[in-house]
Amino acid sequence: MDKHIFIEPLARVEGHGGIEVYIENDMVKEVKFEIFEGPRLFEQLVVGKDPQEAVAIASRICAICFVSHTLAEIRAIERALDVKVGRKIHLLRKLAHYGEMIESHSLHYYLLALPDYFGYPDAIAMIRQFPDEVIGGLELKKFGNKVMEIVAGRRIHGENLQVGGIGKIPTDEELEWIKLRAMELIPTIERGIQFWNEVDVPDYLEEETIFISVWPEDGTYDFRADTIYVSTGETYAADDYQTALNERVVPHSFAKRCRYKGKPYSVGALARILNMRDRLDGLAADYFKKLYNERWHKNPHFNNIAQAIEILYCLEHIPKLVDEIKATPLEESTRGRDTGAGTGLVEAPRGLLIHHTEMENGRVKYADYLVPTAQNLDDAEKYMRNAVKNLLKQGVQDLELPLEMIARAYDPCISCSVHLVKVIKK
Amino acid sequence: MALSSPSGMSKTSGHLSEEDVMGKPKIGIYGLTGCAGDQLNILNCEDELLKLFDIFEIKSFVMASREKDENVQLDVAFVEGSVSTEKDLEELLAIRKKSKILVAIGHCAIYGGVQAMFRGGEEWIERYKRVYGRENAVTLSKPLEPKPLSAYVKVDAVLHGCPIEKEPFLKLAGKLAHGVIPRTPDYPVCAECRWKENECLLLKGQICLGPLTNAGCGAICPSLNIGCIGCWGPIREENWASEADLLVEKGYDIDEIVTRFSVFGGTERAQKLEQFLRSRKEKGNG
Repeated sequence: MDKHIFIEPLARVEGHGGIEVYIENDMVKEVKFEIFEGPRLFEQLVVGKDPQEAVAIASRICAICFVSHTLAEIRAIERALDVKVGRKIHLLRKLAHYGEMIESHSLHYYLLALPDYFGYPDAIAMIRQFPDEVIGGLELKKFGNKVMEIVAGRRIHGENLQVGGIGKIPTDEELEWIKLRAMELIPTIERGIQFWNEVDVPDYLEEETIFISVWPEDGTYDFRADTIYVSTGETYAADDYQTALNERVVPHSFAKRCRYKGKPYSVGALARILNMRDRLDGLAADYFKKLYNERWHKNPHFNNIAQAIEILYCLEHIPKLVDEIKATPLEESTRGRDTGAGTGLVEAPRGLLIHHTEMENGRVKYADYLVPTAQNLDDAEKYMRNAVKNLLKQGVQDLELPLEMIARAYDPCISCSVHLVKVIKK
Repeated sequence: MALSSPSGMSKTSGHLSEEDVMGKPKIGIYGLTGCAGDQLNILNCEDELLKLFDIFEIKSFVMASREKDENVQLDVAFVEGSVSTEKDLEELLAIRKKSKILVAIGHCAIYGGVQAMFRGGEEWIERYKRVYGRENAVTLSKPLEPKPLSAYVKVDAVLHGCPIEKEPFLKLAGKLAHGVIPRTPDYPVCAECRWKENECLLLKGQICLGPLTNAGCGAICPSLNIGCIGCWGPIREENWASEADLLVEKGYDIDEIVTRFSVFGGTERAQKLEQFLRSRKEKGNG
């Protein structure tokens, strides 16, 4: 049997993508995860801009992970210009980052991913059967948004986080509200995590893969570091990211692709939770231990539950973080130079994000961005190929939904991925 | 098939049943090339989302649902993003054809986005080649220089923002539900800043694009002591030359000012800025 499957547009993801599969004589000939989103050439747009402009532009790469792009750009510029900011600023950035994780993960877990497993086209349709889950998801999402609004300035593209500091520090009342609301929402996400027990996780795609994430130097489970960790045991300094993660252009995608030593790899909540599992604590560690099994290393569907556990981790850590922010005095930041290069590593909700910036006389001279979804594309294609192969063997004809579910499990951010592009230096 | 709505769950007013009798307005929510922030801020209406799905018959909202019907006439299409590939353009033309009212939502759809900024007269294709190596590196769809929707089709209404904000979107949606095409606010961020009684950042010597930028955000950034970056796009009758003069007086140089003005200036202001720079150079003042 010959068959051509073309799924376009891919629904319930951010941005414009598609999946194309060619089958010949019942064998998979080709599987392509296509990225239709047009090129915006961000690495070129920031050239000549000052730090405030560069950060505002970098934020626009993506609405869902704007805090991550903002923080990666700030980190890259601060390292390039040898800017030192005090602990209070770091903690506030971390709080905004937690807000983004909670918002993005709850949007994806509850509204974009779960409906597939229960046969619904969207979360709104799912609400009649599972009102507590959908409403709970919306409540969590709203809270994440509120945290970003308070700390980053807006729900999307807030400008409050700046190179060298912050526009305005949230008031104690606002911080207390965040703390109390985080505590209130813990049972909500616990229910959401328990709900995963209802999910029948498909097994027709399983194969080991490589997981890459940040490796926080202070030994905590965190979303920022200057070191990259690969599940095969290697670590790399931030500035060596290009040696570690090779990129290339393929004709069927406006996003470039990455491999580790020639092999596809995975980034995202699943990669983080597997790489840093010994660093989890509290209820998040308990739930992880209860749910974890060997299949997590072979199946991207578990990225969904890994996200839910990370929501819990963030909610549990917010109260301590808020107390520390309030107790920490604001220090003056310093700037060491006007010319230099720096790399900023953060974890966006959907995985490792790298901004590399070279500054000259206080303005951007060169930029290179490496985003999570583009790193995941080869890995996703690998699993889609496995799924097609095995489902054909089982005589399954309807391949669309299984393939879409694999793509969605990565929580792809297609707008971002288009900017995995390498600028050729003049 | 229409998107499922939780009918019976959130019907709280008599107004909805009237709508049901009249037939719900059919809408579609689309995204071309951009960051998807405008669609995301629609999904960010957490408290109103169910009602929104109830008031309108949502025929297409790919970011939220797998179910869609592209073969019906729409009362209203909301489109975000800039036209940046031939595929974007084909999609836009198809949407225009089937929609009574087309609303451009967000900076990319109205002005072209940051991807359409003025880059000192540099050709877009040169920029593209520098990033992708050569012109035909990607064969999926032909890339186009990013442009706003109005470069290709008639736009009936706009909703400013980068991204659009929740409240103005809900107000607009409410008016459209009653068949009214709303007028766009036509005053700068400065007005909102004064209502908030903020201290003027320009007078303090900071670059602030408040006087040139569409209001609606509530002067968020100046309220955080951060100069307006202009992300809601240039107001219709902006007096940018006067602001440029003021900034020169404050000690900024022309290149710095033009760089800042261009970030969210879109394609239209780009032409003006180019002329401005040229005339300054002729005067020997650049």
